Amino acid sequence: MTVPRRRSRKQQGVTYDDLTGTLRERTVVALADPVLAANLRTAGEAWSEQQAKMKGDYDFDQMRDRARDIRRSNIRDLPALLAQLQNSVRENGGTVVRAADGAEACRYIVGLARARGVRVVAKSKSMATEEIKLNDALEDAGLEVVETDLGEWILQLAHEHPTHIIAPAIHMNRERVADLFREEAGTNDVPDDREGLVAHARMRLREKFAQADIGISGVNLGVASTGTLCIVENEGNARLVTSQPRIHVAVMGMERVVADWDQAAHILEVLPMAAIGYDAANYVNLITGPRREGETDGPEELHLVIVDGGRGALRGTEFEEALSCIRCGACLYSCPVWRNVGGQTYGSPYSGPIGAVITPLLEGPASPGSRDLPFMSSLCGACGDVCPVGIPLPDLLVRARARSSSPHKTRTGIGFRIWSHLWRHRLTYRLTIVAWRLALRIRGKGGWVHRLPGPGANWTEVRDMPSKWPPHR
Amino acid sequence: MADAGVVRAVLADDPVMHDIGLDAALRAAGIDVLIWPVSLGRREILGLEGPAEVCGVTVPTLAVAARGTLVLEASPGHGRGLDVTNRHHVALLPADRIVEGLAEALARTFVVGQPIPSAVSLVSGPSRSSDIEKISTLGAHGALAEHVVIIT
Repeated sequence: MTVPRRRSRKQQGVTYDDLTGTLRERTVVALADPVLAANLRTAGEAWSEQQAKMKGDYDFDQMRDRARDIRRSNIRDLPALLAQLQNSVRENGGTVVRAADGAEACRYIVGLARARGVRVVAKSKSMATEEIKLNDALEDAGLEVVETDLGEWILQLAHEHPTHIIAPAIHMNRERVADLFREEAGTNDVPDDREGLVAHARMRLREKFAQADIGISGVNLGVASTGTLCIVENEGNARLVTSQPRIHVAVMGMERVVADWDQAAHILEVLPMAAIGYDAANYVNLITGPRREGETDGPEELHLVIVDGGRGALRGTEFEEALSCIRCGACLYSCPVWRNVGGQTYGSPYSGPIGAVITPLLEGPASPGSRDLPFMSSLCGACGDVCPVGIPLPDLLVRARARSSSPHKTRTGIGFRIWSHLWRHRLTYRLTIVAWRLALRIRGKGGWVHRLPGPGANWTEVRDMPSKWPPHR
Repeated sequence: MADAGVVRAVLADDPVMHDIGLDAALRAAGIDVLIWPVSLGRREILGLEGPAEVCGVTVPTLAVAARGTLVLEASPGHGRGLDVTNRHHVALLPADRIVEGLAEALARTFVVGQPIPSAVSLVSGPSRSSDIEKISTLGAHGALAEHVVIIT
C-alpha cells in the first residue's frame, strides 16, 4: 500500500486552524452570548443533578481510588502494555500501526482509503480523530466524511467544533438544529420537535451507513490481554460504524490501554458514572478482531492506529498523571470557567481543565494557540474533586502555568521577584502598604478607584477598586 | 410484537429460540420470520428498503443484574447488528444466565487462552441521545424499544 509522503499543512498542532481572535477575545465574545450562557447552564446543572442522584448509590471515593491506581499502573507499564496489545490485536487478525504524530496517522488512513478505493467514510465520535484533524485530511483527499454521532453530525453541518468531549453540540438550540437539517436535506420538510429531528437524522445517516466503505471509530480502552477494543456510546452509531462498512479503522490515543478485564470492568463502570451520571452507557462495543469465518456482518479488515502525538514524552514528567484521563468530561461540567465560556472558546478539541493542561503539553510550550490555556481556571479545585481517576488537575494547572509563562524572563516575572523581595522584610512590607494606600486615596473618587495604570488595569477594566478598606457605601 | 405493529422478525439462530418455538408462534401471528444469517442487501438490513417495523430477536449469553446489561456475542448465527439495525429489539434471556456484576460477566466472557467472540456488545437500554438540548431522546440510531423476556 502506498502512503503519501506529503505532510498536510493542516496537521500541525492540536488547536484548530480556523481560530478567530485571541483566547481573551474569544472569551469576551462567549461571555456576551446569552444563548450560550443559558445552554451551558442547563447542561452543567443537569450533569450536577444526575451526579448527586447517583452518588447516593455508590461509594464514589472508593471507586475513584481504585480507578486511579489502575490508570497509574497502566501509564507506568505503558510500553509493555502497548506491545502486548499490539501483539494480541495482530493475533486476532487486525493490523496495528503506531503513529508518532497526527500527520503520520492521517497519512496511513488516507493511504488505506485510497488503496481500497473508498469514497464514503462513516465516523463515530472520537476525540483522537479531532485532535489529529483527520476529517480535513480525508476531505483533502477527496473523500466524503460523515460524522454519525448526532451531536457531531450537527456540528459538521454547522462547520463548528465540539463544545464538550461527550456532549459536543449542547451549546445549540433546537431551532438551529432544525435549520441545519433543512439545509442538508434540501427541503423544508423537517420536523421541529426533538423526537422528529432525531428520527430525521436517523434515516439520513442510515443512507450514509449503506454507502460507507470505511467506518472510523475512537477507542475508549484497549485491553492488552485479549487485544479487545472497547467503544462506549449511547446512540448505537458506533456499533453501525464498526459493523456495517467493510473496513473498520480504530484510532486510539496511546495512553488508553489497560492490562486485563478486571481493570477494564472497573474503568467501564466508572466512565459512564462520571460522564453522564448513570451506572451504564447504553452500548459498549467490545471488538476482538475483524469478522470471522462464517459471520456475515462485521468488517473484513480491522486497523488499529495508535497515536503518540506527544503523549509518550509526558511519561516520567510532572505531568504524567494527565495521561490517566479517560475523557469522561466531568471536569468540564464541574468547571466554573467552562460553564461560562463553553468548550469552543478554548480553541482545542480538549477543553475545560483537562484541555487546559494537555493541549499545551501535546503542542509544545511555545505554541501561541495554547500557551494561555492553563490560565482558563480559577483554581477552585472542583475539577480535582470530580475526576473519576484522581488526576490532581488543580496542581497540574499550576504546573502548566509555570511551564507556559516561564516567568523569570518576562516583565511580570521581574515584577513578582521585586515584590517578593520587598515583602520579605517587615519595614519594606509596611512601606509598600503605606505607599499603596496613599496612591489609592489620591487616585480615588468617592471611595473608589475606577482606573489603575499598568498591571492594575486588569482589575479596573472589569470592576472598581475601593480606595480604602472597608469600602464605604 | 403484533401490538407494536411489527411485520418482520429477524431471529438469531440459537437453540433457545428454537426450544420455545418462537419462529412458529410468530408465523402463526402473521409475522414474517427470518433467521440469521439473512440474505438481505445492506439497505434492507439497515431498514432503508423493505418493511420499517422490524424486530431483531437476540439471545444474550449473560446479563448483569446490577445494571440491567445484556451481553450479546457475535457468531455466525448471531449478527453484530441484530439489536441496533432494527427499530425493535427483543432479547430472550434464560434466567440462569443472569450474574450479579459487570466484572463477573466480563470475566466469564473474556478468558485468556480461550476463544473470544469477534464482537461482544453490552446493551443497557434502547438507543438514546441527549445531543439536542441535553434532553434524552430515544431511537437515535439503534432500537427505539427494547424488551427483555426472561425464561425461567
